[in-house]
Amino acid sequence: MAKRMTSRLAPYLFVAPAILMVLVFLYLPILVSLALSFSDWNFIRPDARFVGLENYRAVLGDTNFHAALRNTGIYTLILAPLQVVIPLLLARLLVRLGKSRLANFYKSALFLPTIIAFSIAGATWLWLFNPLTGLFNIVLEAAGFAPQRWLEDPKLAIWSVSATVFWKTFGLNMLLFLAAFTAIPPELTEAARIDGARPARILWRIEVPLISPTLFFVIVTTVLGVMDDLLGAVDVMTGGGPIDATTNLLFYLWEKGLRFFQFGHAGATTMIIAALIGFITWAQFKLLERKVHYG
Amino acid sequence: MLNTPLSRRQMMLSGAAAVAASSLSFPRIARASSDTEIVISSTWGQDKPFQKVVDAFNEMKLGVTAVNRFDGNYEEATARAVTSIAAGRAPDLMVTGWKFGYFARRTLNARDLREIDEARANAILANFQPSVLPLVTIDGALIGLPWAMSTPVTWINRDMWRAAGLDADIPMDITHDWLLAQCAKLDEALKAQGHPTYRSALDLSSNEWTSQAYIQNAGGHILSPTGELALDSAEAAAGMRAFAEPVRRGLWRPVDGQAQLNAFTSQALAVTTTSSAYAPLMNAQDFDIVARKFPRLDAARRMNSGGNFLAVYTNNDEKAQAALTFMEFAASREGQEIWSSVGYMNTSVHDFAEIPSPEAAQAQFADGLTAETIWPGARGLEAQTVWRQYVGRILEDQMSVEDALRAAQADIAPLIA
Repeated sequence: MAKRMTSRLAPYLFVAPAILMVLVFLYLPILVSLALSFSDWNFIRPDARFVGLENYRAVLGDTNFHAALRNTGIYTLILAPLQVVIPLLLARLLVRLGKSRLANFYKSALFLPTIIAFSIAGATWLWLFNPLTGLFNIVLEAAGFAPQRWLEDPKLAIWSVSATVFWKTFGLNMLLFLAAFTAIPPELTEAARIDGARPARILWRIEVPLISPTLFFVIVTTVLGVMDDLLGAVDVMTGGGPIDATTNLLFYLWEKGLRFFQFGHAGATTMIIAALIGFITWAQFKLLERKVHYG
Repeated sequence: MLNTPLSRRQMMLSGAAAVAASSLSFPRIARASSDTEIVISSTWGQDKPFQKVVDAFNEMKLGVTAVNRFDGNYEEATARAVTSIAAGRAPDLMVTGWKFGYFARRTLNARDLREIDEARANAILANFQPSVLPLVTIDGALIGLPWAMSTPVTWINRDMWRAAGLDADIPMDITHDWLLAQCAKLDEALKAQGHPTYRSALDLSSNEWTSQAYIQNAGGHILSPTGELALDSAEAAAGMRAFAEPVRRGLWRPVDGQAQLNAFTSQALAVTTTSSAYAPLMNAQDFDIVARKFPRLDAARRMNSGGNFLAVYTNNDEKAQAALTFMEFAASREGQEIWSSVGYMNTSVHDFAEIPSPEAAQAQFADGLTAETIWPGARGLEAQTVWRQYVGRILEDQMSVEDALRAAQADIAPLIA
C-alpha cells in the first residue's frame, strides 16, 4: 500500500522543486506586480494604499512612457528584421565554407560579441562613438565628412544604439540558423542543384521551408528579445537620452522602479508590457505558425 | 581510504556533524571581537580615499569596526538601501547624494543626528563651516555629515590657450562674455593651425547642475527660497539663453559627461565647466590645466554646490552611537586630512597645507554656495530627469527657451507637489 502510494507520489515529488521555483520566481512576482500596480506603496511604509487605476492613468499619460513606447516600436522595426535576415544569410555562407579552419574562425569571430558583457562592449562602443575623440569621427573627418554626435544627436542616437545592439546579439541567431542548415539532408539541395536550381532559389524554396521551425522560433524570440537586449546598451551608453531619444519600455520600467522608486507606476508598467508582449506573441503565432513546416 | 565507499548512514552522520561543527564555530569567531560593527554603504571602492578614512578609523581601535561596502553610484546605493530597509536591514550609514535629501529624510528615514545624541552631534558639526549646515538640514532635522562638497568651475587647457596666442595669465574671476570671446578666438586660431588634437572650444556640461548655475547667476531660481518652482521667470530665461549661446555660436557641441571628460583629458576640448571634484583627475594630466571660477553673468555670481553627505539610517541605538564615533573621526582634523585627497572642497574648519581642490572652488565656497536642487515631493526624483530633458531640448534648439521653461514649469509642478 505504502509502496504504491510512494510510486504514485514520486513523479510529483520529482517535479515539485521545479514547480516551486516557477511559482516563487515567476508567478509570485507577477502577482506582486499586479497588486503593486493598484497601490501606492514604497516597500518601506508599513501600509499600502489602494489607488485603483490611478497608476495606470499616470503611466499612460506620461510623455516619457509615450516616448518609450514609440522608441520600442522603432527599435523593433530596425532590429528585428536585421537580427533575422543577416544571421540567416551569414549562417548560409558559413555552411558553404564547410568544416574548414576558415569556417571555424568566422564562427568564433562572429559569435564572440554575443558573449561579451554589455558593460565592456558598451565602454568600447562609447569610445568609438565619442564625438570629439572617437574613431568613427576621426575616420569621417579624414575622409572629408563632417563629424557626427553619434550618441548625442537625438536623431542619430537611436541608430547608433541599434547598431551596437545588433553587433552584440546577432551571433546567437546565426548559431541557431547554422544548426538548422547543417541538419538539412544534403541530397535534397544536391538534387535541386542537379535539376538546375540557382542558389537563391534553393535557399528560398528548399532550405528556408526546411528550417521554418527554427526561423519561426528565431522571429518570435527576436521580436520579444529586442527590449531585453536594449536595456543593457541603453543603460551603459545613453541613459535613455539625449532627451528621451533612446529610452524604451524596459528602461522606462527600470527607471520608474529602481531610480525613481515609484513602485506602483513600475507595477502598472509591468502589466502593460506583459499585455503587449502577450498580444505580440499571440499575433505572431496567428500570422506565422501556419507557414511553419514541422516535417 | 579514498576508495572506501560511504554508506548512506555514514553520509548522513558526517553531514550532520559538519553542520553542527560549523554552527558551533561561527559564534566563537563573532565573539572574538567585542567591537560594534557598522556597515557603511558607499559609492567608493577599496582603492578610494574613503577606504583610507575607514582603515585609519579602524586602526584607532575605538571599539567600533567600520566596514566600507561599495554599493555603486548614488542611484544604485539608494536602490539597495530601499530594499535593505524594506527587509529590515538598513545600512548603518550611507553616502547619500545631496539631491536625495528629501528622499533620505522622508522615505528612508535618515536619522536626525541630534536625536541620537545632541551633544555629540553638535561637537561633530562644530568641525564644519556653519555655512554648510543648512545643506544637511532637511525638514528641521540635521541628517548628515557635510563633508563631500563640490561646485562647478571652469577647467582650462592652458597649453591650447597659449597655442592660440591668447594671454595665459587668466584672471580668476571670468565672465560669460569674456569666456565666449576667448573661445571664439581660440577656435579660429587652432582650426586655422590644424591643431592635431583640438576638436571643440567649450563644453558647459549639458545637465541640470550647470544650467542651475546659469539661472542663479542671472538672478533666478529653479526652486525659490520658499520652495516654489520658479522656472517661468525672466531671470531663468536670461540664464538659459546665456547657457545655450555657445551652442548657437558653434563653440559647444553638447556631449554626455563621460565623453566630455574624455575629450578634455585627451586635449580635444579646450575649456570645460564641470565639477571641482575632478581635481585629482585634472592634476594627473601631463598638460597645463588651470581652474578658474565659473563664468559670471552681469549679476553677482551665485553658485551652487553638489556632492554627498554621510547619513545614519540604523535604528539600533548601539550602532547609531557607533556611527557617531565614526563621524567624530571623519570630522576630526586627522580624518579630514586623509579625506581631502578625494578632491572635494574643504568644508571643515581645519586648515591643510595642500589639498587637490582648486583655488577657484574654495573661492566660490568662500563667496557662499547654494545647494544643488533638492527636488521635494514623492516624485521629486523624476522632476530632475524632466528638467534635464528640457535643458537638452533647449540646447538642441527643439524648443525656444521661453517655451521650454513654460513647459518644464507645467510638467514639473505636479511632480514636486
